This record gives sequence, structure tokens and C-alpha cells, in this order.
Amino acid sequence: MAKLKFFLPLAGFLVLSGFLLSGLFSDPRKIESALINRPVPAFSLPDLANPSQQRTLSDLTGRVTLLNVWGLWCPTCNAELAYLTELRQQGVPIVGLYYVQPVDTDFGDKFDINQLRLDVARKLADQGDPYQFNVVDEQRSLIFDLGVTGAPETFILDKTGTIRYHHIGDINPQNWPTLASVIKQLEEGADGQLTP
Amino acid sequence: MASLRHKLLLLCCLLAAPVVAEEQTDATAKQGLELKSFADPKQQQLFAQLTAELRCPKCQNQNIADSNAVVAVDMRQKTYQLVRDGQTYDEVIAYMKTRYGDFVHYQPPLRWSTVWLWLLPALAVVALFMTVIRRSRQTQQQVPDDTYEVVSGAQLSTELQAMIDAAAQPKTAVAEEQKP
Repeated sequence: MAKLKFFLPLAGFLVLSGFLLSGLFSDPRKIESALINRPVPAFSLPDLANPSQQRTLSDLTGRVTLLNVWGLWCPTCNAELAYLTELRQQGVPIVGLYYVQPVDTDFGDKFDINQLRLDVARKLADQGDPYQFNVVDEQRSLIFDLGVTGAPETFILDKTGTIRYHHIGDINPQNWPTLASVIKQLEEGADGQLTP
Repeated sequence: MASLRHKLLLLCCLLAAPVVAEEQTDATAKQGLELKSFADPKQQQLFAQLTAELRCPKCQNQNIADSNAVVAVDMRQKTYQLVRDGQTYDEVIAYMKTRYGDFVHYQPPLRWSTVWLWLLPALAVVALFMTVIRRSRQTQQQVPDDTYEVVSGAQLSTELQAMIDAAAQPKTAVAEEQKP
């Protein structure tokens, strides 16, 4: 008993050290998404290439799709374009959700979808176009409902348009295998349920 | 013109490095976004409480009142709308949690996985008190043991005498042995 008492401070120290050590290797940006296994909220937003056309949830269903939140203003998104284009060539369907930053009206700036359409077309022609189509969320309403914290972020949707995976940050050759395995499971599974 | 003003503002900020924080708050005040009016002072109070308790999902360890990240500005605006629409504290928190998860509220929910947050400090305090009580009992028991040294002055002197005798005896014995 006395011996046990003698080692008690050491045991406490080791437990505390282990706890703090694990904190060193955890990623504080990793947030549990609240929308996993819930359907994409209903929306009706203009198509970027053809602003008169409204896109809705039905455009995202039917097959397993990546929904990629991005913007020209976001350097990481631009860096990601080339790799995403490679993935598209491998047959991965990717839909873009364009994140419009708030405009500063005090400086006379205003949102111009036609200007944006031209800028994006030029960028995609230059860097590669990974997208089936792009949806413009000027008010960031769908972006808010999806719990997007910034860009780039990517959601994996199953065939029914239900969110199965939420990835914060860019997609690159290092983290792609994780996402690819989720997609594979969703494509194989009839009910689209993930086996963890 | 607009970009020139942007550049000038940036230049001012750079020159006035120690007062950058002030410049930024000036800029937000100018945006007009942040001038929010309330018909009811209770709603104003609720808005202040909510923006202080809701956590910015983009920026580590800032509440949405404190942050100017796009998502924090949007959340502030949404909170304002919901409060103006007459939603209660719980309703606004639930609205944010369905989108941004438990992370978004600084008050964690009480669940089996989070119960240690409350239990552990309570257990630590209980353990501390138990140790203190046990220690004080041990020292109380030791007090009577100590007293015998005080009362046994006479006994001590006889003991001392015995020790002197014992020390003296071997010497005489040695002396006797050396004699022949």
C-alpha cells in the first residue's frame, strides 16, 4: 500500500504528460461536422457559367459527387485546381460551390456575376477545369447551411444527395486515398451507408 | 479610385503598426454592418450574450463578437436576424449547432462522453479534502505518542545513568585485563 502511494505522483505525471503530448499532435482545425448523414439543405442558386439557369438539389443526386467549396480569392483553392482536374479525368464527378466574399460597398465595390463568370472561365481555362458545373452562392446562404467555415472545403454526397463526408482544407495526393475509399464504399453500397 | 483608397488605408495601417488594432475596429465600424439597432433592450442583451458565447469555427479561440472572419460576420448577422425575429436563446443556439456542431458553443453539452468535464474537478476536490482530513487525523494520533518524552524526565535521567554505567564498565574491564 505504501509502495503504491509512492508511485502515485509518478503515475499522475505520466497520465498528464500523455494527455498533453497527444494534444501536440492533434489538429485543432479538425471539427466534427454536424451535417454528416443529413441531406444537403434545399437550395436554388444560379449556375456560374449560365446565370439564368437555377441549380437545385436534384442536380446533385443520382451519383456519388464531390461538392467543392472554392473561390478565386482563395490561394489554396487555386493550388488545388490542377489535382482536382486530374481527378475529374479519372472519372470523379466534382461540382463547384463558389464562395463569394462580402463586398465592401463603402469602397464602391459591388458584386457582378458576369465579371465573375469571365474571371472564373479564364482561370479554369488556364489552370484546368475540374467542375461539372459551378453554383454561385452570393449571399453564402447554402454555404452557411452546410456549416462551411472557409475555403477550400469538400463534401462527399451519396446518390441521394446526403452528406457522407466533410473535408476541411485542400485535396492533395496525400489525403486523397481517404476520400477515395469513402467514395468507393458509397458507390458499392446500395443504401450508401458507411461502414466505419 | 477604390483600389487607391484601399492602398492608402493599407499604408496608414502599416505606418501606424502599434495602432493597427484601432484601425481595424474603425474599419468595421465604417462597414455599417455592425451598427445594429434593437427595438427591445432585452433583445440587445440576448444578442450580446449570444455573440459572446458562440464560437467562431474558422478562428481558434475567438467568439463571433470578437472575430472578423467572413464566417463570424455571417454568423453575427444571422444571430441578429434570428434575435430580431423573436427567437429565444435556446433556439438560436440550436440553429447554429445544426450547422456548425457542438464546437460552435462555448458551453459543452452534458453527455456520457463529456461528463468528465464536470466530474473530474469535483472528484479532485473530494480527493483533496479526504487527504487533508486523513493527514490531520494522523498528526492527532501522533501527539499522545510524543508526550511520553516530556513526562519521563526522571526516567530519562535513570536511563542516562545506566548508559554511563554501561560505558564505564567495559573500560574497567579492559583496564583489569591490561594489568597482568
